Amino acid sequence: MKGTYLGELEELILLTVGALVENAYGVAVMDEIERQTDRRLNISAVHSVLKRLESKGLVKSEMGGATNERGGRRKRFFKLTIQGKKALEDSMQVRSSLYQQIPGISFNFSTV
Amino acid sequence: MKLQPPRWADRFLKWYCNPQLLEEIQGDVYELYLRRLTNESEAGARRKFIWDVLRFFRWSNIKRSKTNSYASNNMAMFKNNLKVSLRNLTKNKGYTALNISGLAVGITCFILIVFYVQDELSYDRFHKNADRIYRVKEIFESDGVGERSASLPFPVAEALLNDYPSIVQRAVRLFNFQAPSMAMVNEENEKEFNEPRVFFVDPSFFEVFDYKVLEGDPKSALSGPNSILLTESMALKYFDGEDPIGKFLKFQGQKNLKVTGIMPDAPLNAHFQFDFLISFSTLKSFYDGQYPQSWYWNPCWTYLLLEENRTAESLGSMFPEFVEKYFPDFIKEDVTLELQPLTDIHLLSDLDYEIQPNGNKANIYVFISIAIFVLAIACINFITLSTARASERATEVGMRKALGSRRSQLVKQFLLESLLLTFVSVIVAVILTTVSLPYFNQLAGKSMLFNLWSDPLLLAGLVSMVLFIGILSGFYPAFILSSFRPAKVLKPGQIATKGVNFRKALVVLQFSISIILIISAGTALRQLQLLRNNDTGFQQEHVLMIPVSRSPIARHFKAYKNEVLRDANIVSLTAVEEIIGAKHQVGNYRFEGNDESKPFPRLFVRHDFIETMGIELMAGRNYSEDFLTDDSLALLVNEQLVKQQGWPSNEAAIGKKFRNGVNGRQIIGVVKDFNFVSKHHPIRPLVLDLNSHDRAFDLFIKYMAVRITGQNVTGSVNKLEKTWKKYMPERPFEYFFLADDLKGLYESEEKLSRVTVIFSGFAIFVACLGLFGLATFTAGQRKKEISIRKVLGGSVSHIVWLLSRNFSRLVIIAFVIACPLAYWLLNLWLSNFAYKIDIKPDLFVVAGVLAMLVALVTVSYQSIKAAFTNPATVLKNE
Repeated sequence: MKGTYLGELEELILLTVGALVENAYGVAVMDEIERQTDRRLNISAVHSVLKRLESKGLVKSEMGGATNERGGRRKRFFKLTIQGKKALEDSMQVRSSLYQQIPGISFNFSTV
Repeated sequence: MKLQPPRWADRFLKWYCNPQLLEEIQGDVYELYLRRLTNESEAGARRKFIWDVLRFFRWSNIKRSKTNSYASNNMAMFKNNLKVSLRNLTKNKGYTALNISGLAVGITCFILIVFYVQDELSYDRFHKNADRIYRVKEIFESDGVGERSASLPFPVAEALLNDYPSIVQRAVRLFNFQAPSMAMVNEENEKEFNEPRVFFVDPSFFEVFDYKVLEGDPKSALSGPNSILLTESMALKYFDGEDPIGKFLKFQGQKNLKVTGIMPDAPLNAHFQFDFLISFSTLKSFYDGQYPQSWYWNPCWTYLLLEENRTAESLGSMFPEFVEKYFPDFIKEDVTLELQPLTDIHLLSDLDYEIQPNGNKANIYVFISIAIFVLAIACINFITLSTARASERATEVGMRKALGSRRSQLVKQFLLESLLLTFVSVIVAVILTTVSLPYFNQLAGKSMLFNLWSDPLLLAGLVSMVLFIGILSGFYPAFILSSFRPAKVLKPGQIATKGVNFRKALVVLQFSISIILIISAGTALRQLQLLRNNDTGFQQEHVLMIPVSRSPIARHFKAYKNEVLRDANIVSLTAVEEIIGAKHQVGNYRFEGNDESKPFPRLFVRHDFIETMGIELMAGRNYSEDFLTDDSLALLVNEQLVKQQGWPSNEAAIGKKFRNGVNGRQIIGVVKDFNFVSKHHPIRPLVLDLNSHDRAFDLFIKYMAVRITGQNVTGSVNKLEKTWKKYMPERPFEYFFLADDLKGLYESEEKLSRVTVIFSGFAIFVACLGLFGLATFTAGQRKKEISIRKVLGGSVSHIVWLLSRNFSRLVIIAFVIACPLAYWLLNLWLSNFAYKIDIKPDLFVVAGVLAMLVALVTVSYQSIKAAFTNPATVLKNE
């Protein structure tokens, strides 16, 4: 089905949102990805992917409370939805099952 | 260290960013900025901030409309509005039909007139150098008497080229012997005709003008003598589809011209059309091997192509010096040369010796005003009808407002409705235009085409017309309709009335316009009648004109005359220089008491001129064949000349000496004033000069005029033709009736009055449609009142009076407003004429009564219907 397919960056960000649990907002997601993968993203790219994920129903968002940081501007926090979790699980499954089928890997795995 | 990021970038972000996304985006970029300030250099942080802002500038973040979040709802509202509009339009089919037909008629009139005006304005603009081409005109007048000539002496073009090479790039002369037509014969195919549109032109013709050549080389086609180019239709006419290139046409029975090129038919939107172009050098053989050297005789239309960046003024300022240098002493003082832009000729030029009659700028203004008037009346219909019926929509408006609709949304809804209506009207108008264009073409003497799809400009025009009219006429109703207060209109029993006075004012406006148009149409018709009627002082009926220019008739004139006069139905025969009543030439005469000679309008004539033309002799005697010296020593003048010279009486003028070439000539007779040119001009002094030289037919005598009894017209014509063929078998015989020809003088006025009459008819029709709708509405609204009045004993006539009274009052007010306006406008128009009608009050009364009658008839249908309705049917529902 069109629209349910997860792109590589989408998947990465979805995972990060899940990993950050309660604290997933734009800059945090960007930082986390940089920390974990050494991949530098522009903040606007993160925003648009998050928005896309939201429109696919994989994450949901709400504005946080006002703080003293960043001139008092609120943050938009993202959370995984049920579908989001399911999508992550599905893609993990596809990956691991495909991974299992690679001959070299499964051979090595069984003989050692 | 600056905590504030680059201000402009921040502002830019605020400007483009969707307000709903602004907070989070701005928050994130600020957070990053502040972090970078501590970690990196300030410049780097600022640079990266700008970069982030720019990266956020993408479609999904850009603010599109204030109500972005309701985007889907917008579409739904539009659909709903459309549906409501359509329902509303179909529910009131009568009103919709009234509105659409009124608007459609108005728009059709508008389109037709715009077409006409566009065509008139396009004259001569197809030349790529049109803005650099000028025609030289020669004003040759002394004390306002003389000529304003569109044509010039032969040597002018060459002298201008020689003297001002830095200004004048090219010059071209057009010449046609000043003859109304010339004989063209293809001997092989036995085709012979008299052709009116033959010109001798300089080889530079194709360099100055952008006329195309289909076959042959434009550069060389006109360079050698005895070459001729013809148009496609002439090629067909003379050569029946054979290839004419290299073949010969015999010109005037004496010269063989070789066809060197074929051209497309001359475009109609030019101030002259041609069928044949003959190389200028051919002329030399007619004038003893060289061009005429006279600086007095001015037969050549002369066009100049100026160098780029050179203004007409720079050349114009040289003209006094130029005249001084070249023109003969005796006319120097009276001659002024001027330049007129090519593109002005059609509408602005009104000179003597124009190649063809031109258009008229005043007509254009009149036409445009009429178009706007009719359209305005149609738009007003829409406004009055929709505001009058506002109460029917009041509940809807109240409900929408109660449910949270904003005023702007309601305005949009009603505008959509008027746009829809206008759209349909424009479609109907396009159909009407297509159907009526051929008739309009006939009316206006044009051959315009209406091709919607091939003309993107037209299509764009129509679309903008829909928008313009839709918004113009929908704006006020939308404003009124959307102003209702829900609390007020939703209460039962409230009738919402708004803008009653405004509506009345609009009806008054409509009828004022209509009345002005009726008065104008009447005046235009009367003026035309005045111009046309026969009191020109000479007889037009039963006079045949036969073009004889440069024909061998000279040798046979006496014999021809004697022979045809033997026919009982041919009364008299003479010959004359120009068509009497249309045109004249000018000659220099020095009368007794004058220090020098002055130009006077002149007609060369032959014996029996005043008998043939029925002109009265006031004093002295006519030319007589018994006085051989008449030819050289005598002269007839008109009364106006006597007056202008200050001689005490017609009798006193007899015997006055004058000089023109030879000394010792004298005036032998004075004729009654007659209109020797159109009635656009007052009667000026005139001399009728007898010219019985054989050579006169080469130049000065262009027509024979024959008066017949009218008993047996065909017999007389046959006799004339048979005798003609007997003496000149090689020359085609052609003739026309003087009266018919003179009608053409007032073509422009005729066109004007026809268009005004027809379009004022339409204006009134459209105004009545509106009135009818309004009356229907009022009668409907007062149904109950009328019924109760009837129950209480009101008579039918009383009720009709009651309903018609208001409308009559409006028409009377309109009449009062229209009269002075019409009077002022018409005086303005009539001031262009030397002969004009008095604006008489009866026309105003007729127009007022007519408007009133039409209005009453329109209204009374509804009033009477209302008055005759059975009160029971209306009241039973209460």
